[in-house]
This record gives sequence, C-alpha cells and structure tokens, in this order.
Amino acid sequence: MSVVLGIETSCDETAAAVVDDTWRVRGSIVESSIDQHHHYGGVVPELAGRAHVTTIVPVVRAALAGAGLDLHRPAIDAVAVTAGPGLIGSLLVGLAAAKAYALAWDVPLLSVNHLEGHLFAPLLETPDLAWPVLTLLVSGGHTMLVYQRGPGEHEVIGETIDDAAGEAYDKVARWLGLGYPGGPPIDRLAGEGDAASLALPVSMTGEDLDFSFSGLKSAVVRAGEKRPDLARADIAAAFQRAAVEQLTRKLRRALERYEVAGVAIAGGVAANSALRASVAAIAAQYGIAAHVPSLAMCTDNAAMIAAAGISHLARGQRSDLAVSADPNWSLADVS
Amino acid sequence: MRALAIETATTACAIGLVDGARYEARLLAADRRHVEVLAPGIAALLADCSLRASDLERVVVDRGPGLFTGLRVGLATALALADATGAGLVGVTSLELLAAGAHGAGVRGRFVGVVDGRRGEVFTQSFELAEAVTALTEPAVEHPRDVVIAWATNGAPVTFAGDGVTRYARDFAAVPNGRVHDLDVPPVLAALAFATREPGPVTPLYLREADAVANFVTRDGA
Ligand SMILES: [Zn+2]
Repeated sequence: MSVVLGIETSCDETAAAVVDDTWRVRGSIVESSIDQHHHYGGVVPELAGRAHVTTIVPVVRAALAGAGLDLHRPAIDAVAVTAGPGLIGSLLVGLAAAKAYALAWDVPLLSVNHLEGHLFAPLLETPDLAWPVLTLLVSGGHTMLVYQRGPGEHEVIGETIDDAAGEAYDKVARWLGLGYPGGPPIDRLAGEGDAASLALPVSMTGEDLDFSFSGLKSAVVRAGEKRPDLARADIAAAFQRAAVEQLTRKLRRALERYEVAGVAIAGGVAANSALRASVAAIAAQYGIAAHVPSLAMCTDNAAMIAAAGISHLARGQRSDLAVSADPNWSLADVS
Repeated sequence: MRALAIETATTACAIGLVDGARYEARLLAADRRHVEVLAPGIAALLADCSLRASDLERVVVDRGPGLFTGLRVGLATALALADATGAGLVGVTSLELLAAGAHGAGVRGRFVGVVDGRRGEVFTQSFELAEAVTALTEPAVEHPRDVVIAWATNGAPVTFAGDGVTRYARDFAAVPNGRVHDLDVPPVLAALAFATREPGPVTPLYLREADAVANFVTRDGA
C-alpha cells in the first residue's frame, strides 16, 4: 500500500493531507488566510506568503497526527507538493517545506500541478468511479473542460480565452459592493432575485468548447447602469444565470462529442448552487454519473494533491529536489 | 554538536555544517535561486559528511531582515527540517550575523550591518565590537543617505558591512570616518557559532509591512 503526504500552498490556503492508494483520505487540514485579504478585494500575495510560513508546519503536523502517523518517522512513501500554477511567493513556501520533509524522511518528492490535483478530487469521494469522465474545472483562476480517460490521463478540450468564471464573479461582486470573494454572496443573493428581470447575452455560443467571461462582466455593468431601479438580487440572479448557462452549454456540447461514464465539476466555483444543480440535471438527462463534490472538496486542499501524487508514484514518476515552482504551469503541459 | 546553518536573506543562498570539530560552509548560488539549490545542497553536504538529516541536533536559520521571498524559502526549509527531525531550531538575524562575521575577522569598534532592503532602503543595526559583540540599536529600516549623514556627522570611526553597503558603495565611501569591511553574505560559519543558543520558535523578521497593507493604511489613515 502506498501512502503520500500532500502539501498545497498555491494561493491563500495552507493545506496538508495524507492519502493512500485506495484513495482514502487519512487526514486533511486546510487553513486559510482569506480573512486577511477580505478588504483588499483580492488575495494579497505578500500577506498570503507570510501566512503560509507561519502555518505550514502546524498544518503538516496536524495532518500527520490526524492520519495517526509519527512526525519523525511517518510511514509514508512520498511527499507530493503543488509546484504551480499559483502565486509564486506562496508556492515557494510549500515547495521549500515539502523538500525539507522529503529530505528529512528520506522519501521521494513529487511535484504536482495544482489543476491536475483538482482532477483527482472526485476519486476521493467516489473511489470506484467509472471512467472516462468529463470535468468542468472552474475557479477564480481557471475555467476549462477536461476529458479524463483515467486517473492521470487527461486532455484539456476547452478553456477560457480571457477571464476565469470565478474572476467574473469577483468582479461583479466588487461592482455590486459585495466584497471578496464574490462567489458565495452572489450565489446567495441570486437565490432571492429574478433572473428574468435583466436580459444578458450568453457569450461564446459557437461550436468550440472554449469560454469567455470578460464580456459578461461588462454587460452586467452596462445593463445595470441603464436600469438603476433593479435590485442587486435581480442583477446577481441574471448574472449567475448567464454564467452558468455558458458553462453548461459547453458541457452539453462536449457530452455530444465524448462518450463518458460521468461528468464532474471541480474548483471553487463548483460550490455554486446553480452550477451544481444544472450539472446534476444534465448528468441525469444523459444517464451518466454526476460527480458533484462536497463543499470541502471544492476549495483548494492537499488531499487532491496527495491523490495526484499517488498516481505519479504508481507510474514511477519522481521529482528532483532541485525542482522549481512555476506560477504559470499549464495543465496541458502535464503528462 | 551536529548543526546545520541556512542562509537565504540576501540574493545568495549558503549553508554550513558543524559536526564535532569539522566545519564546512558552502555558497550554493548567488542569484536568488534559493528554492532550487537549497534542498539539494543540504542533501549533498550531509552525504559528503556521511550524515543523515535525522543526525542533526540543531538547525540555525537567518530569520532576516532581508529579501522576503528568499527568507521564506530558508525559514520554511528550516522549520520543516527541524520539525521532522526533532532538531532544535535557532533563529539569528542577518545583522547579528554580519556583526559576528566582522568580529571574527578582527574588526573592532563601532560596526553597522547594512542589508539591502530594496526600494531605496536598507536594514541596519549598530554594534560595538570589543571582546564581545554588543548591539547598540534595534534593527531598523533606513534610507542609506540618512545612515551616511548620521555617521559622517557623528565623526566616530565606524565600519560598515553587508550587501546594502555594496549597493550604495558611493554613498558609504563618502563617510570620512568610515571604512568598509568586505562581507556581503551573512556568514554561515558565524551562524553555526549560535547553534549553542537555546532553541525555540522562530519567526521571520520583515521590518516592513506587506505592500497592500501599507498602501491600504496610507489610503485610509487620514
Ligand atoms: Zn484550485
């Protein structure tokens, strides 16, 4: 049996987890510095870096303790760590710590792409899931459609050409004065509003599988300025409907081209209630499994990084202790 | 005592190891590649000394002030290494390392450690180097010209050292009563001498707030 310690520090979450090769999460801890970034309208890199360096060791300790492992001689086979994409100052803290642990315990280091990690999240909740799976990976930094033949075998089939979906949520939330991050308050407000009160264009209606969200944000602002009578809840509802419509339209288009056993959503925006409901409905309609993650599995965590590490280990992949972080590491470059 | 010293507060990355009577210092890189060179460098140094990480009794780390990103690479490495091996962790400042290094090289009298803080500022601290090293001031952020003016006005003989002196060489050369001791990287051999200090929790010494915080405070401070 292989057991891997995962470490994740690509943004504001400091996380560590222990996962084994039956995809069981033996211990998982996530600390976030998000409260410190709240009034800046986004994650402040320097603040995130400072938080990681004070939190990383207690978080790793707690994850090991949760898994019943000894801090000095843990029965693990490797340390997996996010090496990108993400904030460089944040990535470096986790990477430096992971290397030190690998060195101290004399186990291999596995550098993991953060987005590949997200693709492993469904396995942690459904270890016997049937492949292939079509995954809609949506977060503050990324929006993509990924075709997965099996664990670690993926192909990016569609991607945003400008903003990420989560970025659009943040921008609209800022314009509505809802604070940062924008996803949860818009989702909440949208539930109280009438989406039909404001007609918004759905972008990217073409045949390809790519997305675009920068125009939607501008359309919301333009339409909202013309209709000062509209309640914020109505604007939120209209925006949410248009955003989810674009995501699910491309998902349906992909389902017509790819024969899959299930669909999954992953990333922070997978916590959005409208998206969750739509994806579940689409899966039911196609008669395939819907992998709608628990809310804890939507946020960045280290269990998904450890799980990707399990897959790397099984395929004999090892990273050199000299490996560097890559803030722009593309999922398409992960083999 | 078996101790490892980690130095990442400047653009350079250096490590040192003491094992009984054997002392070894290595400069791993001079160009900010801390995260790439540090762990492999430690692994190689331990292997060359026929030691394992678990043999370490102390890890001594420069906790700043210095370049934030480099500092955090060194700190995260030291914190994790010490926690995983059970070695005691000792934090020293870059400025006291400069003072200790100069003292070891025979410098005596007034001494000012000057670490490049970027953005036209330096991190400084004054010491009296006699039989022992005594700090006269607390670590501070200053404009190099203010340091130069203060010492030129003071008139007392003084020695400067650190990469901040190298960066503002022309300013520091203008102090008539000053001389420059050639020492850019806080020395790891001096750090190893601190291995006998009582170990305990170590936090980075930034001396400067995070950018957005500073800006935010300025905007709303009025
Ligand atoms: Zn993520």
